[in-house]
Amino acid sequence: MSEAETGAGAALVAEGVSKRYGDTVALDGVSLSIPAGEVFGLVGPNGAGKTTLVRALTGTTRCEGSIGVLGAAPNAVDAQRVGLLPQSFNPADRLTARELIAYYAGLYDEARPVAAVLDDVGLADDADTWYENLSGGQRRRACVGTALVNDPDVLFLDEPTTGIDPAGRRALWGLVDDLAAGGTTVLLTSHSMAEVERLADRVGLLRDGSLVAVGSPAELIADHGGDSRLLVDGADVDAAAVATALDAEVGERDGRLVVRNVSLAQVGELVADLEAAGVDFDSFTWAEPSLEDVYLRLTGETMADVDAGETVDAEVEAGR
Amino acid sequence: MSRRRRIRSTFVAALRAFIRRKTAVFFTFFFPILIILIFGALVRTQPTGGLFAREPAYYIPGYLGVVVVFTPLSRVGSTIARHRDGNRFEKLATTPLRRWEWLLAHTLVNVAIIGLAALILFVLVLGVTGANVVVGPLLLVLVPLVVAGVALFCGLGAIIGRVASSQDGVIAVSNAVAFPVWVLSETFVPPSMLPAWFRSVTAFSPLTYFSRGVRAAATGSDPTVATLVLAALSLAVFVVGALAVPRTE
Repeated sequence: MSEAETGAGAALVAEGVSKRYGDTVALDGVSLSIPAGEVFGLVGPNGAGKTTLVRALTGTTRCEGSIGVLGAAPNAVDAQRVGLLPQSFNPADRLTARELIAYYAGLYDEARPVAAVLDDVGLADDADTWYENLSGGQRRRACVGTALVNDPDVLFLDEPTTGIDPAGRRALWGLVDDLAAGGTTVLLTSHSMAEVERLADRVGLLRDGSLVAVGSPAELIADHGGDSRLLVDGADVDAAAVATALDAEVGERDGRLVVRNVSLAQVGELVADLEAAGVDFDSFTWAEPSLEDVYLRLTGETMADVDAGETVDAEVEAGR
Repeated sequence: MSRRRRIRSTFVAALRAFIRRKTAVFFTFFFPILIILIFGALVRTQPTGGLFAREPAYYIPGYLGVVVVFTPLSRVGSTIARHRDGNRFEKLATTPLRRWEWLLAHTLVNVAIIGLAALILFVLVLGVTGANVVVGPLLLVLVPLVVAGVALFCGLGAIIGRVASSQDGVIAVSNAVAFPVWVLSETFVPPSMLPAWFRSVTAFSPLTYFSRGVRAAATGSDPTVATLVLAALSLAVFVVGALAVPRTE
């Protein structure tokens, strides 16, 4: 038995997990430990390895390294204790939502009542509609329901809210909250940073098969999110005048002037300074760094934008 | 108990999914009926020679073979392709359902559908072609013969579904396998009309034993050997088919 399989207190443990598809590296020595009861968000660009890691943890793909799920190898763990919503899951389309949930419930020795699962995913009123006639969001909720029928201790949700409208998404968020409150360990992947920031106790960021950062959303934002910013808008607003009025470095991004490292308490004072200096501006916005800033910074997806902003900063500074 | 529950749950879902596809249901029954109407009613047997020179009852295995071969091959094969496309096996791999349980449930669905179709065909063959059968207890052997035949071709369908990369590929491979097996397994072409070297080839076709068994049961001869050989082949192919059902990518 490997060390990962005996990881005390951890619901999920991965040590040095690697996976290649030919010359392509899907996972490159990923190590991870997720305590029981934690909601862990896995983010990263398309092709970063999120789904491959979920497959490795659920034993549906072979990989190098060692993995423990509830103290056992993925293929040896009690299936009654694990739930999975695969990415792009597409069940039989001519079953009703009720029949679909009942089918998966029938695969377990102990299953939750079908009506309760339908209620949880908000499909009680459409329970007798064929899957193919449900809306995209309702379909996804039915699919989530199939992962909940066995009341799992560990739940894998691979992009659970893809295609779901905001109301449906919030309903599912509430469901994940309830599951977490009940002690279920949840690993979810998502492209929505707001979703992960809202749900996850900790977040792991995958890039090119490597886990480049792990921490709570607050920790990641503090470490990698950059400064809070005051954004100043106006057709005729002059960068040099703003820089002079605030005695600060001023950058520009997307047609707006950016003053970095401004706390919320300073905003009133700075706006008063702008007005006192007669700077002509239309509006201002104060923005905190978010998980999305962390994502963009660590994945390098918008490095060009960041560089462009920093270049303007330098030019403005040089012009003063 | 829980195994029975899993198989029953899968059977019920698969049966519902099938019977709600009205086009598939229609052609499952219509295609073999069409074959009977073409060969049995229009071409008819030709006592003076030619392809259909035998008495009408000789061709009963051929007519039944239409549903026993074509339907399970294409249905199980394309079901596997659909499951794979929809990541359904990835999900099933994390449930207690075993691969053989999945294949058994889908085989039972095919047994139910094809059993009904075979019954209709059998009655139709007797009515349309004027075939004479010996009515007696041996006729009941047709039931295990059809069940074993369906199970065998469900297993083969699972292997094709595993090997072919898409639903289109499954249909193409199924047809390429099914047609020669159906025609050349002592169904429509008597061995005496085949080249000597090819007669030994037909011994490798499982449908040959289905044909011999059905023909024996229908004419009052002893179908035991053919039935046992078919059952053994069926078990072997089913086991290989169950192992071929995807679990991991």
